[in-house]
Amino acid sequence: MPSFLDRENTIAEPGFSRWLVPPAALAVHMCIGEVYGFSVFNVPLTRIIGITQSVKGQDWTIPQVGWIYSTALIVLGLSAFVLGKWVERVGPRRTMFTSACCFCGGLVIASFGVAWHNFLVVWLGYGLVGGIGLGLGYIAPVSTLVKWFPDRPGMATGMAIMGFGGGALVGAPFGVELMNHFKSATSVGVQEAFLMMAACYFVMMNIGTTFVRVPAAGWVPEGYVPPAHAKKLVTTSNVTADEAIKVPQFWLLWAVLCLNVSAGIGILGQASLMCQDMFGVTAAVGAGFAGLLSIFNMAGRFVWSSLSDYTGRKAIYCVYFILGAVLYCLIPFTQRINSVAVFVAVTAVIISMYGGGFATVPAYLRDLFGTMQVGAIHGRLITAWSMAAVVGPQTINYISAYQKEHGVPKSEAYNMTMYIMAGLLLLGLLCNLLIKAVDPKHNFQAAPQGGNA
Amino acid sequence: MSDITKKSSPALILFAWIVVSVPLAWGLYRSVKNARPLFSGATQAAPAATPTAPAATQTAPAANPK
Repeated sequence: MPSFLDRENTIAEPGFSRWLVPPAALAVHMCIGEVYGFSVFNVPLTRIIGITQSVKGQDWTIPQVGWIYSTALIVLGLSAFVLGKWVERVGPRRTMFTSACCFCGGLVIASFGVAWHNFLVVWLGYGLVGGIGLGLGYIAPVSTLVKWFPDRPGMATGMAIMGFGGGALVGAPFGVELMNHFKSATSVGVQEAFLMMAACYFVMMNIGTTFVRVPAAGWVPEGYVPPAHAKKLVTTSNVTADEAIKVPQFWLLWAVLCLNVSAGIGILGQASLMCQDMFGVTAAVGAGFAGLLSIFNMAGRFVWSSLSDYTGRKAIYCVYFILGAVLYCLIPFTQRINSVAVFVAVTAVIISMYGGGFATVPAYLRDLFGTMQVGAIHGRLITAWSMAAVVGPQTINYISAYQKEHGVPKSEAYNMTMYIMAGLLLLGLLCNLLIKAVDPKHNFQAAPQGGNA
Repeated sequence: MSDITKKSSPALILFAWIVVSVPLAWGLYRSVKNARPLFSGATQAAPAATPTAPAATQTAPAANPK
């Protein structure tokens, strides 16, 4: 690999503006966030042979295609877990470049898989190779930003993770436009769309790779004076990734993330259908509602996480959990008064806090475990998200289906799940309240100074 | 360390932000456009029996017996 990617060559020179780092992080997160918009390929992927309709026995099925997306998300968590320490060692530039190669290479492989109509190749490309790109691309920019913004870690991580949320806003319509452009009498356009996306995303991600830097040892922002009295939960020491998973605080935070995400993702995945079932709106309005939630999901990542710099991480999570639980309990009421407007407002706030939970967690980790290996620790925590991605939607799907089967009107079939989600949030609140500062005996001795990302 | 401090160019910073803002703004525009039916008053699915009824003023839809 060229030395341009080496960590030594990414250490910022004096005068480098840290404001170049957030767009670098955004460039990567916005691209890999495309995975959230993968659903636009679901139906076309089931019509590769039939083109206008799926040919039974020859074309792939929706559940089959769903495995590609699920695998990508599972591999995201696993690769972040396994490769977190490597990310810390080699630095963000090499990691982001590797992420671009894996994510875009995965799209190219998947494109060939579509051309050959070989499901295994598509699964291997998008799910496995692409999934590794997702995991690497997710953690590297976040840990770098935490080190550049010791004065505003919440805002910094919020900016990057906002990009991941925004990736769906960009990726879904981009995919649709490309498929519409390339589709013909003999092609649904997915193969060509994957190739074009690979090319565009590779360029964009490597713009991020070019701009990214790590701060030099001992660097602090101009005019920044670390607080004389450290806050109770904010450490000035460092804990290694291997040590972090041995302390209860890590697992409490794992539960906090898992429960917050389980509740939010349950709604996000079912938004369109839920709106149609509860209020009888058209599919187009349901889709519009899902799009609106994506905007709040993205905005919440920045707004709530930035706010956490002032309130403290523990307090903001208390808000997510208490306000979230109250709002979930209000959803059945919005259905009873048949108010779509109130329903939209309530769910928008819930989803903004779901996004906020994602974005605030790296700053929470930094508070508890320091910056030295925050990327690796974050990688390990992301497994909570993988778990939540299964628990949340399955809970809503299973219970609402059960209710419908047992004669509960469609419009009321979600009420029980809303109360269950509120319960999950209260459980999360309990875990959050139990989080205390990490015992100094776990601190890394002779911790290296900055300049490592 | 070099004695000369080379400051990042403001133009470069602006360029970097534009590169990421343009696609995000496009995605945001597309989402807002798709969400417009939510606010256009056509939120309720028009029942087949009353095709001329103004959607915004309809009462509980067929799917909602309450």
